[in-house]
Amino acid sequence: MSHDAYDGQVAHSDDHAHDTHHVNYLAIFFVLCACTALSVIFDVVHLSKPITIVLVMSVAITKALCVMMFFMHLKFEGNWKFVLLAPTTILAIGLPLALFPDIGASYYTPTAPQVTSWAEEIRNDKDRHAEHAAATGHFEAGQVE
Amino acid sequence: MSHTAKPTALKMGIPIPNSKLGLWLFLGTEIMFFTAFIGSYIVLRLGSKGWPTDTHDTHINVFLGGLNTFVLIVSSYLVVVSHEAMAQKNFSKARMYLLGTLILAFVFLGIKSIEYYGKISNDILPGHIAETSSQAIKKASRELEVVVRKRFAAYTSSGAIPTERPNDMVNLVIQIEALPKAATRPENVNEETFKALQVSAPVDVALHSRWMDLHQHIVANVSLKKPATGPEYVAASAKLEPGEKLPELEYSEVTALLTEMKADKTYGTYVTHGVFEPHPVVYGNIFASIYFLMTGFHAIHVIVGMILFAVVLRQGSKLDGKWTDFVENSGLYWHFVDLVWIFLFPMLYII
Repeated sequence: MSHDAYDGQVAHSDDHAHDTHHVNYLAIFFVLCACTALSVIFDVVHLSKPITIVLVMSVAITKALCVMMFFMHLKFEGNWKFVLLAPTTILAIGLPLALFPDIGASYYTPTAPQVTSWAEEIRNDKDRHAEHAAATGHFEAGQVE
Repeated sequence: MSHTAKPTALKMGIPIPNSKLGLWLFLGTEIMFFTAFIGSYIVLRLGSKGWPTDTHDTHINVFLGGLNTFVLIVSSYLVVVSHEAMAQKNFSKARMYLLGTLILAFVFLGIKSIEYYGKISNDILPGHIAETSSQAIKKASRELEVVVRKRFAAYTSSGAIPTERPNDMVNLVIQIEALPKAATRPENVNEETFKALQVSAPVDVALHSRWMDLHQHIVANVSLKKPATGPEYVAASAKLEPGEKLPELEYSEVTALLTEMKADKTYGTYVTHGVFEPHPVVYGNIFASIYFLMTGFHAIHVIVGMILFAVVLRQGSKLDGKWTDFVENSGLYWHFVDLVWIFLFPMLYII
């Protein structure tokens, strides 16, 4: 890397990005607030579970991108950001993928004592829970399969 | 020898200040730290046959969570404008914004404390949650036992009942029962205390009796409507045909018993304060572990951020351009803290 090239990069990325790239932080702030309100609304309106998951996680990713790109100035940083963040991101994604076959698929086998001895009780509890919820005014029974 | 221009030293590395590079490397490790938790949560939740989502079970308050998200977003905005003010050499303005961030961090922790209190006061803690009805019954009995032991401790610790075995409840209850009729009081106990204990003795004996009765029914697994000990139990058991069983102890019977005990005018208060509502929550413990682990570590990060801002604010009017990088790096750290919460909020509070 030549000196000139280095200086050029410094001028672009090091000399406090906001000096050269004006960001309307207030607008980003309002977008983040609106997204948070959306998340709460998606919870309150009682959509089906998969739709809620897709919606709230999309909102979360949008918020995360706004924070990273504008508040953390990654939009205006040099390519070093990819060198620095790509390995950690790959490793971060790798962990759940590595755990999934053994744990995510089911961390108790169907014949494990916890499952066999609890199965009947849990089925009964499901009914009791519904009764309890109805009696106390909480009609949303917990997810028990 | 001809004179040639000395070549300029070759500069290697990433064109950002070392402190910023260090901070980003640290944030790289932080990404892996939190995604390890989040990833584990995802696989554990996928691997569980159910998950507590009813807010009555989890005591999750989505509005408090949403409010905390808003608080962190405002604080993130204040940090970024503070850094901008630093770059513009407007240090007093930067200090004001940073102070706002610090205050909001306190607000965040305050709201978090309210949420934690809601869970702790309902015993939504890892390892404390009954997942089946039989566990719920046993948990209620254990908690009732603790209440009785605490009541009995007043007699032994005050010296009203001198004993070398203060945990021997079987013998202790006989002595407590006899206390109201005791003619003399031990010298080391003042009269007022002794009289108060004489008055409370029948109440505590009655409380012990109720707990012991429940305990015996749990051991025998017999309905509260039937005797669980003594000649009546033996006679009832003897009448059973082969393969036949006495009616089993039902969860609903125990909850009815606890409701009745809590309403009692004499010992009801002790039971109310010592025994939690015992209804079972399947996968409640793993939920509580995940909730406290993730939000706890996040709260620790908030505290670290507060320390960073306090260091800057401590400079007071001496704050100058030398602190610009520090403020930028603290800001990056704070945005990361915000970023983690952006994912924790939907994952723990909504999904």
